[in-house]
Amino acid sequence: MKRGLLYAVLIAGAVVFAYPFLWMFASSLKPEAEIGGFGLWSSSAGFHNYAEVFSRIPIGRALFNSILTSTISTTSVIVFGSMVGYALARLNFRGRDGLYYLILFTMMVPFQVTLIPQYVLMVALGITDTYLAIVAPTLLSAFSIVLFRQFFRGIPQAFIDAARIDGCSEWTILRRIILPMARPVVVTVAILTFMTSWNEVLWPLIVVRERSLMTMPQLVTLFTIGGESEALLGLQLAAATLLALPIIVGYSFFQRSFIESMASAGIKG
Amino acid sequence: MCTFWKHVLRGTFSFLALSFVVLPGCREHSPDTAPVTDVVTLTYWPAPNPQEVAFADTIVRQWNRLHPRIQVRMQSIPVSVSTEEVLLAAIAGGTTPDICSNIWPGALHEYTRAGGLLRLDRFADFDSVARSRTPDPLLQTFRSPDGGFHQMPWKTNPVMMFYNRTLFEESGVELAPRTYSEYFAAAQKLTRDRNGDGIIDVWAGERDIRPIWWQRLFDVFPFTIAASGGRTLFEQGEPAFATPATEGVFAFFQRCYAEGYYPHTYFAGGDPFILEKKATQFSGPYLVATLQSLAPRLRFGVVPLPVPDDHTGPVHTYGDYKNIAIFTTTRYPAEAWEFVKFMVDARQDLLLLTVANQLPVRGDLLTNRMFAPYFEKNPMIRSFAEQVPYTRGVDAAPDLKELFDALSQEYESCAVYGRKTPSQAVLDAQERIRAIVDWNR
Amino acid sequence: MNAHSHTDTPRHADRVGYALVSPYVVFFLLFVGYPLIFSFVLMFHRWNIVTPMEWIGLRNFERLLGDPLFYASITNTFIFLFVHIPLQLAAALGIAVLLNMNVRFRGFFRTLYFLPVVVSGVVVTILWQQLYAYDAGLLNRLMTALGAARIPWLVNPDIAMGSIAIMATWKNVGIYIVLFLAGLQNIPSELYESASLDGASPAARFFRITLPMLNPTVVVVLVLSTIGGFSLFIEPYVLTGGGPMQSTLSGVLYIYYQAFNFGHMGYAATLGFVLAVLVFAVVVLQRKSVETEGTV
Repeated sequence: MKRGLLYAVLIAGAVVFAYPFLWMFASSLKPEAEIGGFGLWSSSAGFHNYAEVFSRIPIGRALFNSILTSTISTTSVIVFGSMVGYALARLNFRGRDGLYYLILFTMMVPFQVTLIPQYVLMVALGITDTYLAIVAPTLLSAFSIVLFRQFFRGIPQAFIDAARIDGCSEWTILRRIILPMARPVVVTVAILTFMTSWNEVLWPLIVVRERSLMTMPQLVTLFTIGGESEALLGLQLAAATLLALPIIVGYSFFQRSFIESMASAGIKG
Repeated sequence: MCTFWKHVLRGTFSFLALSFVVLPGCREHSPDTAPVTDVVTLTYWPAPNPQEVAFADTIVRQWNRLHPRIQVRMQSIPVSVSTEEVLLAAIAGGTTPDICSNIWPGALHEYTRAGGLLRLDRFADFDSVARSRTPDPLLQTFRSPDGGFHQMPWKTNPVMMFYNRTLFEESGVELAPRTYSEYFAAAQKLTRDRNGDGIIDVWAGERDIRPIWWQRLFDVFPFTIAASGGRTLFEQGEPAFATPATEGVFAFFQRCYAEGYYPHTYFAGGDPFILEKKATQFSGPYLVATLQSLAPRLRFGVVPLPVPDDHTGPVHTYGDYKNIAIFTTTRYPAEAWEFVKFMVDARQDLLLLTVANQLPVRGDLLTNRMFAPYFEKNPMIRSFAEQVPYTRGVDAAPDLKELFDALSQEYESCAVYGRKTPSQAVLDAQERIRAIVDWNR
Repeated sequence: MNAHSHTDTPRHADRVGYALVSPYVVFFLLFVGYPLIFSFVLMFHRWNIVTPMEWIGLRNFERLLGDPLFYASITNTFIFLFVHIPLQLAAALGIAVLLNMNVRFRGFFRTLYFLPVVVSGVVVTILWQQLYAYDAGLLNRLMTALGAARIPWLVNPDIAMGSIAIMATWKNVGIYIVLFLAGLQNIPSELYESASLDGASPAARFFRITLPMLNPTVVVVLVLSTIGGFSLFIEPYVLTGGGPMQSTLSGVLYIYYQAFNFGHMGYAATLGFVLAVLVFAVVVLQRKSVETEGTV
C-alpha cells in the first residue's frame, strides 16, 4: 500500500519532468490550430513545421556551427586542461602553488565582471563574427584544470618514474601514460565542456550577428523572439525540438556519464 | 634543453592547429580587397521588409542594367533585434555596406559620433538635388549638430489611425472617432463577444503590452505630438514633456486598458488587426499594402489620430522617417553618391509609392502629375500624403532608444497595469530621461 | 620543499612546468586578467565601443545609485531566490529521499528527472512559454479543467518572477536530486539503526540525522542556486524581455540591455562589478550562516 503510493508519486514526478518534452515533440508535428490540447496524437500530424523552419532559418548550418564550436572547445579544454593539470599535479616548478591558487581564485570571479571586457577584447582583436570569437573564452576552463589535477595526483608516482627512466618527455608521459589512465576524468570534462558550450547563448548573442555563423541555441532564440517565427507556436516548438534532439539522443546513450559529470560540477561549490 | 623547446613547439603547434580550424570563419569576413577589374561593386542594404526588398530589387536591377561599370549588390540587413543595433555593430566592426536606406534619424547621432557616415554635402550637387526634392524648412530639420548633412531625407510614414469598417458597422459606430471621448464611446461598442461564446474576442484596440521602446513611436509619442499641436519630448535640449497633453495621453491609454477596451494579453498567432480581433490600429502607410495582400477582404479606413476633446487646429503626428546614408567605409564615394541620386529621382520615388506604398519626402507629392495616377488609384495613401506637412520626427538626442525605453516602462506601469497615476508616470519618465541625458553630457 | 629535487638539470623542471602551463597563462591574461583590469578602467568611463572612451569619474556609480532599474534587478533576483531556493531544496530532498527507499527502476526515474538538466535553457524556456501562456497555455487549461481560475503566470508583475523561479526549479532540480541521493547514500546506516533503537520516530530521524548529515549538500544547493539566480538571463530574455513592469528584469539581462541595446559599456561594466560584489557577499553570508548551523 505504502509502496503503491511511493510509486504513484515517483510516476507523477516522471510525468511532470518528461511529459512536457513529449508534448513539445507531439505539438511540433501538429497543425497550428491543434496545438494547445493535452493530447499527443493528431490525425493530421506531419513534418510541415520542420520543413517551414528549415526554409526560414539556416538551422542546418547552425547545427554544424554548434557541433564545430563545441568540438573545438572540448578538444582544447581536454588538451590544454590536461597539460596544465598535469604540470600542477606532478611537476615541481617555482610558482606552481601560486598558480594553483590563482586558478582557484578565477573560479570565484563571477562572469558578470568579465563579460563586457571580454566582448571589448573580441572587438579590439577584430574577431567578432568569427568562430574564433565564439570559442575563445571557452578554450580552457579553470574547473577542468582542477579536475585533471585532482585525478592526476592520485596516479602512483611509479608509473611516471618508470617512464622518465625510459627517457620519455613529460609530454609523452602525459599523452601515453597519464591520459589513457584518466579516461573517467576525460569523459567528465568532455561532457561538461561540450554541454556548456552547446547550451551557451549569451556569449554567441553578443559576439555573432552574422546569421551563417550563429550557433543553434542562438539562432533558435532569435527565431523565437524575433519576427521570423511570426509567433507561430508550431514553428517555435519545432525549432526547440531540433535544438533539444542532439543532446537528448546523446543523453539517452550515455545517461550515466552525463549525470555523473554534471553532478560532479555541482560538487565543486 | 631540447625537451623544453619540444614542449614549446608542441604547444604552439596544437594552438596553431586549432587556429586553422577556427580561422576560415574570420577570412570570409575580412573586407574584400579591391578587385583588379575596373567594375566597381557597391553594397546596398535596404530595410529587411518584403515590400522594400522588392522595391530595392527593382531599382538595383534597373541601375545595374544602366551602369555596367558600377554594379550594386543588394543585401538585406542581417536579421537581429533592430536595424540600429546591426548598423552600430557594423560600424564598430568596419563591416558597413556602402549605402543603407534604413537610417532612422533618431540613431543618426550615434552613427555620426562613431564616424560611420559620410558627409553628403561634400558632393557639389547635394544642395540642388536635396532642395529640388524636399522643401527647405523640412530639409533643415535633418541637419546634423555639426552643421553638415549625413543623410538624404528619403521617405516618411506618418502614423495615422486605421479602423476596421466591418467591425465599426457591426457595432453601430458610424463615424471614425476624432477625439478621446468619441474614441471611448466607440470603444465601448466595439469591444464585444463577436461569436457568442461568452468570451470577449474583439477589442477596440490593442498594443503590445511589453514595454518595447519603438512601440511608443506608434502610440504615446504621436499622440503627444497630436495633443500638443506638434511638440515633441524635448525643448532646447531639455526634456519638457511633463505637460497636461502628455498626461492626457497616458490617461487615455490607462482608460483603454482599465475599461477593457484593450486586452492585457500578448497576442500570439498573428497581427490582431489583420485577424479582425481589434477595430483600430495606429500605423503608417505601409500597413495599407500589408492589409491588401494579407487580408484582401478586410475593409478599412484611415483617419488622423484621436485628440483631446478641446483640440483645435490641424492634427499633427509622428512621421517615421527613414533616410539614405553613405558609410565612411566605402571605397567609391562618388559612385555611391550617383546611386543615391538615382534612388531619389522622381521615377524611383514613383516606384517607392507603387511597390512599397511609402511616401517619399517630396514637396511635390500631391502636385506633380507623375504621382497623380497613383493617388487616384490609392486614395488611402493620399490621406497619408496630406499628413506629411504636419509630421514631426524624433528629437535629436543621444540615447533616444534608452529614453523611449524609460518612457515605455512608465507608460506600462501607468496605462497597462494602472499602478501609477498619469501625472506621476509622466513626471517619473521625465526624471528618468533627464538622468540619462545628464549622464550623457 | 625543494622545487628541484628529482630533475636532471636545475632549471629543467621549471622550464617543462612553465611550458605545460603556458596555455593557461595566455588564457588567464586574455580572458581573466585583462578583463578584470579593463573592467576597472571601464567603470570610470562612458564608452559605446565605436567612439573614443570618455573619462567621467564616478558618474557611472552616481547613476547606478539613482537608477530604479538597478534596484529593480536586485529586488527581482532576491524574489527569485526567495521562491527558487526553498522550492529547490524541498523538491530535490523530497524526491531524493523517495528514490533512496529501495525503489525499483531507480535509474529510470533518475534519468527522467535529470532530463531537463541536460536540455538547453532555450528549449526549456520556449516550452514553458507555451505552458505558461495565459489564454491557451497548457497549465491554464489544466487549471480550468480542474475548475480553478486561470493564473496570469507571466503577465502579472507580482507573480512573473515566481513563475520563472518555478521553471528554473523544474529545469535544475535533477542535479540536486543526484547530489542529495549521493549524500543520502553516504550516511552510515548504523546511525539510523541506533536512532531506531532509541525509539526515534521517522520524522525525528530525518531532522536529527538526515538533515545535519546532508548539510554540505544543502550548502552546495544554496550556493549554486544563488549563483544561478544572479546569472539569470535567457529565461527572462526569451519569456518576458524583463517585464511586466520590469518585474523579471535580472541583473545580467539589465547588463545585456545597457551594453548591447544602448551601447553603454562603462555603465554595464559598473553594473557587472556591483552585481559580482553582491553575489560574493550573499554567498559568503549564506555559507557562514548555514555551515555554522550544521556544526552546532
